[in-house]
Amino acid sequence: MDGPTLVARYTEMVRMRRFEEACLEGVPTREIHGELHTGIGQEAVAAGLIGTLRDDDALVSTHRSHLHALAKGVPARPMLAEIYERATGLCGGHGGHMHLFDLERRFSTTGIVGATLPVALGHAWAAQMEGRDSVAVGVTGDGGANTGGFHESLNMAGAWNLPLVVLIENNEWAISVPFTESTSTATLAERAAAYGAWGKRVDGLDVEAVAEAFAEAVAHARAGNGPAVLEATCYRFRGHFEGDLDLYRPAGEKDRRRQEHDPLPLTRARILERGAATEAQLDAAEAAVTAGIAADLAAVRADPMPDPATARDHVFAKGPSA
Amino acid sequence: MTTTTGVPARAGTDVRNINVSQCVAESLRLEMERDDRVVVFGEDVGLQGGVFGSTRGLQKAFGRDRVRDTPISEMAFTGAAVGLAMEGYRPVVEIMFVDFIGVCLEQVYNAAAKIRYMTGGRVGMPMVIKTAGGCIGSAAQHSQCLWGTFAHLPGLQVVAPSSPYDSKGLMAAAVRSDDPVVFIEHKGLLLQKAGTFTHGAQVPKESYTVPLGQASVVRPGSDLTLVTISATVGESLHAAEELAGEGVDVEVIDLRSVVPLDLDTVCASVARTGRLLVVDEDYLGFGLSGEVVTGVIERLGTRALSQVARHGTPDVPVPAALSLEQAVVPRRASIAQAVRDMGRAS
Ligand SMILES: Cc1ncc(C[n+]2csc(CCOP(=O)(O)OP(=O)(O)O)c2C)c(N)n1
Repeated sequence: MDGPTLVARYTEMVRMRRFEEACLEGVPTREIHGELHTGIGQEAVAAGLIGTLRDDDALVSTHRSHLHALAKGVPARPMLAEIYERATGLCGGHGGHMHLFDLERRFSTTGIVGATLPVALGHAWAAQMEGRDSVAVGVTGDGGANTGGFHESLNMAGAWNLPLVVLIENNEWAISVPFTESTSTATLAERAAAYGAWGKRVDGLDVEAVAEAFAEAVAHARAGNGPAVLEATCYRFRGHFEGDLDLYRPAGEKDRRRQEHDPLPLTRARILERGAATEAQLDAAEAAVTAGIAADLAAVRADPMPDPATARDHVFAKGPSA
Repeated sequence: MTTTTGVPARAGTDVRNINVSQCVAESLRLEMERDDRVVVFGEDVGLQGGVFGSTRGLQKAFGRDRVRDTPISEMAFTGAAVGLAMEGYRPVVEIMFVDFIGVCLEQVYNAAAKIRYMTGGRVGMPMVIKTAGGCIGSAAQHSQCLWGTFAHLPGLQVVAPSSPYDSKGLMAAAVRSDDPVVFIEHKGLLLQKAGTFTHGAQVPKESYTVPLGQASVVRPGSDLTLVTISATVGESLHAAEELAGEGVDVEVIDLRSVVPLDLDTVCASVARTGRLLVVDEDYLGFGLSGEVVTGVIERLGTRALSQVARHGTPDVPVPAALSLEQAVVPRRASIAQAVRDMGRAS
């Protein structure tokens, strides 16, 4: 398979983990406010996107979006600055950790569950009208797949043959409600048939399997064959948001998953087993990305807070408001 | 059924050490015991008892038929509440945050709000849309109040309590109401302990209601009438204490509900003070503050008012950075300043 090597993907996964840990630091210190959602444990899904998407492809993500942004190539430094509510952030402190936007890379987010797919549909429509071979990826959780927007968007994409790729991160939980109690079918991928879409379910802890399936989904949509639905199974390691007591999931099960099903050590073990890199090489690569994120965080912390006078900017294209 | 108005907390009295969300859960429990047609559903309301705990213990007490976790399908389950109400149930449907109501607004303002009218009064709609609003440093899509939005739509009663006492009593009244009630808790108050409130801190264990549409004078004063609702009631009380030290005696009125709007209580106060300030955490434009001011002028005439002012969240989305939020959302310091500015202008 083309695309990044397994070692490169693994290094990205480590960078993603360190990025989320850097975010965690800002919560107890009250540098970050509101409900911070991390994707710790779900890195293999995001890292599987790398190499397939281009800057002209759109990616619309959810409340749990940091990893998708990194995978799309959004630079860590201004992203972290936005999450840390600094003036140097992607959106000058107006957006926040749930609302990251990077126009150049066609990356956007929403904090409203299920609202990603309709927006992705628009990107897909534009690509079709303009005769571009770009695709639009709409990310949703398993919970978000039960919203009306999911059905409406996929139906339209199917009817109009739009290049929409729906990536479902099925981490088994929508806050406290388990997938099995809220969804009518055993998998979400099987819904694809209802929309005339390509559909597949993949082990979201296996970064190579995700990469391969995602490349297939995108190729399907890029070739003008209409929408694709990729369901990646995974598990959320932390509470729904920082501060969530997470009492709805049995502690033993959580511990077991974190110990036995962490995509980072699983991927590292695979690399070593194959002899694709040595322990020393991996340690060095890990140290480098860890230092990189640490440097970003230190720099962000020295950045200025937004000027309160800017609070009323940007309501409209021109002129001050209110 | 007893009907009383909130008793302010007195130091040393037996304030129960519960928070606002527990007051709401207790109210729902009592109403469910009283009337088995009351059902509660929404995301995370069952097993978890709500993200703030305002439905905690209900599923255990009443079972999954009456208290049920839904998928994230607001359009379907809010619409289902309309159908259930037509079947004779009294559904309490939780939209976790008021900010998310956009995905099911059709069910709220065309179905729930208009059916009684469209049927010539033949079909009642006894449902409660229970939700949480307010600015809590959670950015544009998670920090809205939106009571003005609902108030604009005919057929919805709109309630936003400011204290533990009222949270319990108004919820009971909302459940018993034969009309659809949008009940907007404040995200910033739900986890606050009763003992920390300067008003309405004492919450009786037994069932009681606070009637919808009756404002309460939470602090009597003679110099200026400050009218507000929800979390800015507490903020205004703090501001009033500070201003008292500066020789300004502010009367603080908690509207408790936007619809019905108790202009009688407001006008009685303004007729004495002659000065009106409306403080609103919701967007300023086309909302509660404009409605109160216009309503007072229509009733009392312009000459009854020597001064009128509004202090609300300007018409901008709530910014993410707390440093920016503080620049736009009314809080005790800015409220006190708004009163001082009126003094300066007089
Ligand atoms: C329309 C809407 N309803 C409810 C919420 C509150 N909410 C935020 S995330 C979430 C759970 C989402 O679950 P899922 O889609 O599986 O994603 P996960 O959090 O598991 O990544 C809920 C209910 C929301 N943001 N928007």
